[in-house]
Amino acid sequence: MYSLNENDEFRLKKNALNIRKNILRLIKADRAGHLGGALSSVEIMTALYFQIMKVDPKNPKWEQRDRFVLSAGHKCLALYSTLAEKGFFDESLLDTYGSFKSIFPGHPDMHKVPGVESNTGALGHGLSIGGGMAMGLRMSGLKARVYVVLGDGELAEGSNWEAAAAASHHGIDNLLAIIDRNGLQIGGRTTDVMSYEPLAERWRSFGWNVREVDGHNFKSLVEAMSAIPFEEGKPSLIIADTIKSKGFSFAEDKANYHYWKATTEEIEQAEKDLAEIERRLVG
Amino acid sequence: MSEALDPRKTFGEALVEVGEKNKNIIALSADSSSGSQLTAFKNRFPDRHIEFGIMEQGITGFAAGLATTGKIPFFVAIAPFVTARSFEMFRNDLGYMRQNVKIVGRCSGLTYNTLGPTHQSLDDLALIRTIPGVVVLNPGDPVEIKKVVHAAAEHVGPVYIRIGSPKMPVLFEEDYNFTIGKGILMKEGIDVTIIGTGTLLYQAYSAAELLAKDGIKVRLINIHTIKPLDKEIIIKAARETGKIVVVEEHYIAGGLGGAVAETVTESFPVPVKRIGVDDQFGSNGPYDQLIGLYGLRAEQIAETVKKFIS
Repeated sequence: MYSLNENDEFRLKKNALNIRKNILRLIKADRAGHLGGALSSVEIMTALYFQIMKVDPKNPKWEQRDRFVLSAGHKCLALYSTLAEKGFFDESLLDTYGSFKSIFPGHPDMHKVPGVESNTGALGHGLSIGGGMAMGLRMSGLKARVYVVLGDGELAEGSNWEAAAAASHHGIDNLLAIIDRNGLQIGGRTTDVMSYEPLAERWRSFGWNVREVDGHNFKSLVEAMSAIPFEEGKPSLIIADTIKSKGFSFAEDKANYHYWKATTEEIEQAEKDLAEIERRLVG
Repeated sequence: MSEALDPRKTFGEALVEVGEKNKNIIALSADSSSGSQLTAFKNRFPDRHIEFGIMEQGITGFAAGLATTGKIPFFVAIAPFVTARSFEMFRNDLGYMRQNVKIVGRCSGLTYNTLGPTHQSLDDLALIRTIPGVVVLNPGDPVEIKKVVHAAAEHVGPVYIRIGSPKMPVLFEEDYNFTIGKGILMKEGIDVTIIGTGTLLYQAYSAAELLAKDGIKVRLINIHTIKPLDKEIIIKAARETGKIVVVEEHYIAGGLGGAVAETVTESFPVPVKRIGVDDQFGSNGPYDQLIGLYGLRAEQIAETVKKFIS
C-alpha cells in the first residue's frame, strides 16, 4: 500500500494553498465565478496533478500522458488554477479572466487552454468522453490512465449511468472516476434535490470498484488514487467527501456560494482566510 | 440507370473498404450492427467493432474520447437516435471539441414508413447543419454513398452522413468526380432549377425528365453536401434560371430548402419553392404512398414545378 510521506504531504498542502490563491485571483478579475465546487475539488486536483498523473506541462499533447476530464466543467476555476500552478501557462494570465482576451472561458475549452483535454460544462458528458479516451488508449497499447472528476449533483444526468454501464461492461480498468461529494447543488442539499444515495452501492451495482475517502485528506486521496485499478478488469471510483467552498470561512457548506458574486468585504475575508491557512502551514 | 441497390448494404461495403485502408477506423454499434450493416466490418475487423447497446448519448461521448486518441469512429444507428436524441453530445463533444468522428444516420427521412414519427427523421439536416464545423453529407445514389464514405474517412473532423433504406437507383458512373462541398450539375437548363439531394435525388431527376418531355428546360443540380453548402452553384442557378425548386425527404423547415433560401435571399433573391414534408409529424403507410402523401413522387414534383413557374 502506498503511503504519502510528510514531506510530500507538506508539498501538496502548499500546492493546494497556491491553487486556492489562484482561484481567488481569477474571481477577483471578474468579481464572480463558480466558487463552491472549485474549492471543494482543490485537494482532488492537487493530488492528481502533483502526485499521481504523468503529464508534461512543456508538452501538453505528449502521447503517453495521463488524461484528465473535468466532467463538472463549472469547477474549471480549480482546473485553471491547478494547471497554472503546474506550469502549463503563466499565472499572470489568470488576471484576464472575464475579458475577451482571456483564454479562460467560464467552462473549459481544450482549444484555448493548454492542458485542458475536453470541452465540458453541460453536465453528464465527461464520463463518456473519459471512458472513450481510456478505451482508445488501451486499444493503442498505451499504459496511460484517464481521470474523470464528477460532481455529485451532476449524477442526476442519465448519461452518466450510460457511461458507467459501458465502462464496466467493457472492463475499462485504466479509468478512475472521482465524485466530489460536497453534498450541495444550486437548489440545496443534493439528497433533497434529487438523491442518488447510496452512491457507493449504486456504483458497485453498476460493476465499479468503489472506495470512499476524505476528499480533503491527501494521505487518503493519494493512497486510493495510487491503488488503481482497485480490481483488475473493473473501472475504479473514488467517492471523495468534501466541503463546498472549503477554505473560505464565510462560504463553507453553503449552497448559495455555488456561484459567487463577490463583494469587497467577502474578498477581504477570503484573503484573510488564505493568510491564516498559510500561517498555520508555514508559520 | 435501371439498377437499384440497397443503400445500407452499399454503406456496409464501403466501410470495409475504408477500414482496409486505415486501421484507425473503428465501428460503434448501438445494438444495431446488423440493421446498420456493420456485420461485414465486424467479421473483417472484430477488434475494431465495439458494441455499446442502446445508449446513443453515451456512445457519442465515447466516440469523442476515442477520437482524441487517434481512432476514427463511425457510429451508425437509426437517424433520429444519433441526431435528435444525442444532439447536445453531437454539438459539444464532436462539434465544439472538433473531434474526428463520423455519425451515420441510417433509415433516415420516411424510411420507417410504418413505424411512425418516433423512428422517422425529418429534422436531422436542420439540427446538424447548425453545428459549426460539421460536414453534412446526403448522398443521392449508391455510387455516391461509397464516395461519401471514402471522403468522410479522409476528411479530418466531425461528419454527419445521412442514408435511407429503400433501394436507390444508380445515377452516377463509378468514376464521376466527387468533392465535399461541390454540387453536381446533372442537367443543363434555363427555365428553372431543381435541386435534389439524398434519397429523393432520383425523384428529382425523374421529374426533370418528365418536364423535358413538356419542353421545360430544367437545370438539375445534386447537392450532396448540405454543409459546407456550394453557394456558388446555387447563386449561379438563381442568376441564370430565376427560380429554384428544392426537393428533399425532410421538413421544408431548416433542411436543404432552408439553406438554399437563406443563400439566395442574401445574395441574389429569386423565388424558391421548397418541396418536402410541411409542419406535421409523418404518417404511416407503404413507403411509395407515404412519399406521395407529401407530394414527393416525380410526377407530383413535376406538377408542382409547372405551377411554380407558370
